[in-house]
Amino acid sequence: MDFFETIMFPFKWLVSIIMVGFHEGLSFIGLPEASGWTWTLSIIGLVLVIRAALIPVFVKQIKAQRGMQLLQPDLKKLQDKYKGKTDQLSRQAMAQEQMAMYKKHGTNPFSACLPMLIQMPFFFALFQVLSGITAARNQGKTMGAMSHEQVVQFDDSSIFGAPLSATLLHGTPPGGNVVAVWTLSIVMILAMTASQFITQKQIMAKNMSEEAMASPFMRQQKMMLYILPLVFGIGGINFPIGVLIYWTTTNLWTMGQQFFVIRRMPTPGSPAAKALAERRAAKGLPAIPLLGAKKADDEAATAVVAETKVQRTQPQRKNRKKK
Amino acid sequence: MHDVSTAVVPSVGMPKIIGGFLWDLPRNILILLLKTYRKVVSPLYGQVCRFFPSCSAYALEAVTVHGAVKGSWLAATRLAKCHPWNSGGVDHVPAGHRRWPEGKTPTIVVLNNPDLFLAAQTDEEGRSAA
Repeated sequence: MDFFETIMFPFKWLVSIIMVGFHEGLSFIGLPEASGWTWTLSIIGLVLVIRAALIPVFVKQIKAQRGMQLLQPDLKKLQDKYKGKTDQLSRQAMAQEQMAMYKKHGTNPFSACLPMLIQMPFFFALFQVLSGITAARNQGKTMGAMSHEQVVQFDDSSIFGAPLSATLLHGTPPGGNVVAVWTLSIVMILAMTASQFITQKQIMAKNMSEEAMASPFMRQQKMMLYILPLVFGIGGINFPIGVLIYWTTTNLWTMGQQFFVIRRMPTPGSPAAKALAERRAAKGLPAIPLLGAKKADDEAATAVVAETKVQRTQPQRKNRKKK
Repeated sequence: MHDVSTAVVPSVGMPKIIGGFLWDLPRNILILLLKTYRKVVSPLYGQVCRFFPSCSAYALEAVTVHGAVKGSWLAATRLAKCHPWNSGGVDHVPAGHRRWPEGKTPTIVVLNNPDLFLAAQTDEEGRSAA
């Protein structure tokens, strides 16, 4: 276990220093130091930091997915080649050829393992910090970058009477309101499930081209629609309130991010793209190249990239003219 | 999950068997962990990997073929490559020194090298037909 502790230590330290940083800042501007709400806002601050750091990864992935349009003919050829071959080895061979094709075109629709894997120790560290706080308090210890005073303060703090370190299944520390813990946990599980559903539905209903809707990738997406709420439910009754706050916030961020993408940079050929073109036409604005990721925000900075973006969207525009 | 013991243990003497078991223990533990990860955690995310074979499949094959130490090292290097600024593609596990008896090749090795084994399969069919 010691080996594990050593690995987790830097993550715990980083997670707690960000939270402490937010806590200090919030106290400085006049929020009550010992309030559970100040600590809740610190957790939300942690989410904002992590998700903001991941924005470049997200934008990169969107661009890559848009680049896929150009691969459609090649992809079709590959699918025809393996038509009717359903044995596992042929499927694998097809997957291999498909990856080789992405490499050849220099565009890959998948988000890569590293960014996903990097989030895991952070989530786990947060889990350890929040669930270990009562023990650290009783043993007079510090927790990551948190001083013992802050540990005690955090352990005593609660929102709506629910301590941040309480869990639905594993109990509420003395002085905490059990009903509040149950209610808050369930509300947050529902909020996570709802935001997950809305995000997925939005993508499927508005932001997918017809080809993408018919792909096997979609089947997987639909399965997630039912698996994830289960994960939220099981996690939700086992994890401390503080972790649930983190989890819910990150889910809401995903939903907000998706809304933004659908409205401002929809997938070419999707209903959302049509809606955007109509909105711009109604305002008398010229149509923008759809791939132009952060168009209004930093035009100057992306001026060089803009050229290639325009080129990339060219074939798409022809498509739309036909319709 | 039952074919963990694909290790080639020479069948001579008790000490050698125990020695072989202990020698292969770290590798087999890793194999078990990786298989569990692929069964339980991977489906939650769908495909995210930019490579063929995917990082977890690569890790499983690397540990199976090269053992715990070199296999883990190979897996870690691959994982470090799987970031959004790498265009991915086909990246096979380098060949190792372990040999498997006829028809006992670990499933993951077969699945990760479909072109190789598909060719062998059609070869086989051709021969049995002739």
